[in-house]
Amino acid sequence: MDTETPPARLRITVLQQYPVNGKAVGKLAEAAYAWLEANKQTVNALNVFPVPDGDTGTNMVLTMKSAVEEMRKVPETKAGEMLAALAQGALMGARGNSGVILSQLWRGFARSVDGKESLNSQDMAQAFVAARDTAYKGVVRPVEGTILTVAKDMAAAAEGAANEGTDPIRLLRRVWQAAKESVQRTPELLPILKQAGVVDSGGKGLSLLMEGMLRWVEGHQLHTAETIAQPIAAMNLEAATESVEEGQDYEVVVDFRPHQELDLPSFYSDLEKMGTSIQVGEGQDIYRMHIHVPADKRNDPLDYIETIGTWTNVKMENLISQMEEIKSKTRGQPLKLAAVKPGEIAVVAVASGSGIARHFGELGAAAVVEGGQTMNPSTADLLAAFENLPTDKIIILPNNKNILMAANSAAELTAKKAIVIPSTSIPEGFAAMLRHNPKGELDAVVKEMKDSIAEVQTGEITTATRDVEIDAVKVKVGQTIGLHNDELVIAAEDVEKACLKLLKQMKAEDYEAITLFYGEDLHSEQATAIADSIRKAYPKKEVDVHEGGQPFYQFILSVE
Amino acid sequence: MATNNAPHGNINIAPRAIATIAYQAAVESYGVVGLASKNVFDGLSNFIVKDPTHGIEVHYESESILIDLYVVVEYGTNIKTVADSVASTVRFHVEKALGLPIKEVNVHVQGLRVSTTE
Repeated sequence: MDTETPPARLRITVLQQYPVNGKAVGKLAEAAYAWLEANKQTVNALNVFPVPDGDTGTNMVLTMKSAVEEMRKVPETKAGEMLAALAQGALMGARGNSGVILSQLWRGFARSVDGKESLNSQDMAQAFVAARDTAYKGVVRPVEGTILTVAKDMAAAAEGAANEGTDPIRLLRRVWQAAKESVQRTPELLPILKQAGVVDSGGKGLSLLMEGMLRWVEGHQLHTAETIAQPIAAMNLEAATESVEEGQDYEVVVDFRPHQELDLPSFYSDLEKMGTSIQVGEGQDIYRMHIHVPADKRNDPLDYIETIGTWTNVKMENLISQMEEIKSKTRGQPLKLAAVKPGEIAVVAVASGSGIARHFGELGAAAVVEGGQTMNPSTADLLAAFENLPTDKIIILPNNKNILMAANSAAELTAKKAIVIPSTSIPEGFAAMLRHNPKGELDAVVKEMKDSIAEVQTGEITTATRDVEIDAVKVKVGQTIGLHNDELVIAAEDVEKACLKLLKQMKAEDYEAITLFYGEDLHSEQATAIADSIRKAYPKKEVDVHEGGQPFYQFILSVE
Repeated sequence: MATNNAPHGNINIAPRAIATIAYQAAVESYGVVGLASKNVFDGLSNFIVKDPTHGIEVHYESESILIDLYVVVEYGTNIKTVADSVASTVRFHVEKALGLPIKEVNVHVQGLRVSTTE
């Protein structure tokens, strides 16, 4: 976007002298969206619970995406019309609690400037006030220390700035400043935030939207996350490997001591000239940088570091060969689905992970929709999965609490006879699948499958994304935690200990069979070794281990 | 009902107690601007007595707990998302307080409230 816009200096002057027109509104909204997207993970990491769950950052980004897409459909002539479209898009695409509040903020903002061709400071201040009022109307008892509080502080700042007669750009800056400070105060207002040691995620998201607007005004880039060095321990280098771009074939990680204090913004912009997926971590007297670079530039980061400091450790990896390895592992085992004849009952299962999807196929699912804890498929995705099947009797297995709603709407929207079995985990889905009879009578099959859900206990092993204490279970970031039927019950130092502890908690000795599905982060040898020690602990039980390939969860296990 | 086998005897939790927790959670859930009665007759009696469980119904089905919420949602919000979020908020708070799983939380949107602009 930056290449086609005027130089920053000129942009500031123009915006300061004239009211904000439709074109500027468009650019500001696009910048807000782009910057939130770039910092999505920062917001997601603020979740209060130690499991990746209904991520605020992702929800707000998806809400903004829908908003901006709607806005792009109207001509850039009138600010009011652009904002009305934006608000409409936000409403339609609202995801999660934060998404709904965000859509209300946009709705109030847009209604206040209805019909205006451009906005001056007074208009903007009124719009921020209207946004606040509309958002607060949406709840009986507003909780302070949330995105609502941030919106309130922003409105107050906007009013103050407009009363002093500032230009729209200075007003936006004041609003952003207020948002930033307000976010920092949220833990003082909301005890659960303080307990978890975080600021409010929705408020942070809102503040990032404002920051994106100002970054565009000032001509800063909008696509690489905030230039703040994170603690080295928090660097998520595995995630960076997932997003290898074409031509960025080498991963270079350098630990170094700079000669002088590191100027992060210029350090980032130097690195951006070399490659992508940049991360900078800060430790005691030491920095760690991570970057993906093309093959011919693989030595550039090291040469560059030598100009500004002394390196202590270098790690370089050829990502292409790594990717090939991953591909060869999953290749050659295509998903086999059951063929459904007209009049038979077809099952649509939601699954995350290639192994789990294959397993559903083997058990007789006619369609598998990709989705899980953090990636919820939409109603449309689910409809698309079964609308073309040659039968009108459909059973949907959502296999996650977060997907139940979408599954129910899909069942309501279709002309087919679709029934949702409220399975809330993968093992429940498998248990139901085992009772499936495609030639049976629909109501009877549904009853059988529903009953089977109650007979299985679900365990999940994952890594805590932050320190937290819930129901007397104390968890430190990076520890392995175990969930029994979606509730945090144990924490342990490693995956093996966590499995044993969790099985004990689940009273595995009272059941007959233990089934394990290992996730994409584990090798089959590791999984087998853990299965062996489980067999030792439960010699009389039948212990099965399968490749699940699911993200986030090292193991999904069931006892029945 | 909803008993836990405690060492010294049983703990009984009345549906009303659960409904009170659910009510508190529901009114703090974004997009919910009120709780409504299931029918007109209830509405009249509630007109007189301010009930802390108004618009909430809790049932026990053998060992499991089911909650029905009758809510009024703010016009202009995404109703599906709001309903989704009130259900999960109520489930979270009730399960946290009771330490027992809730089988179902059903949300019935009984009406929409249109707020005036000014």
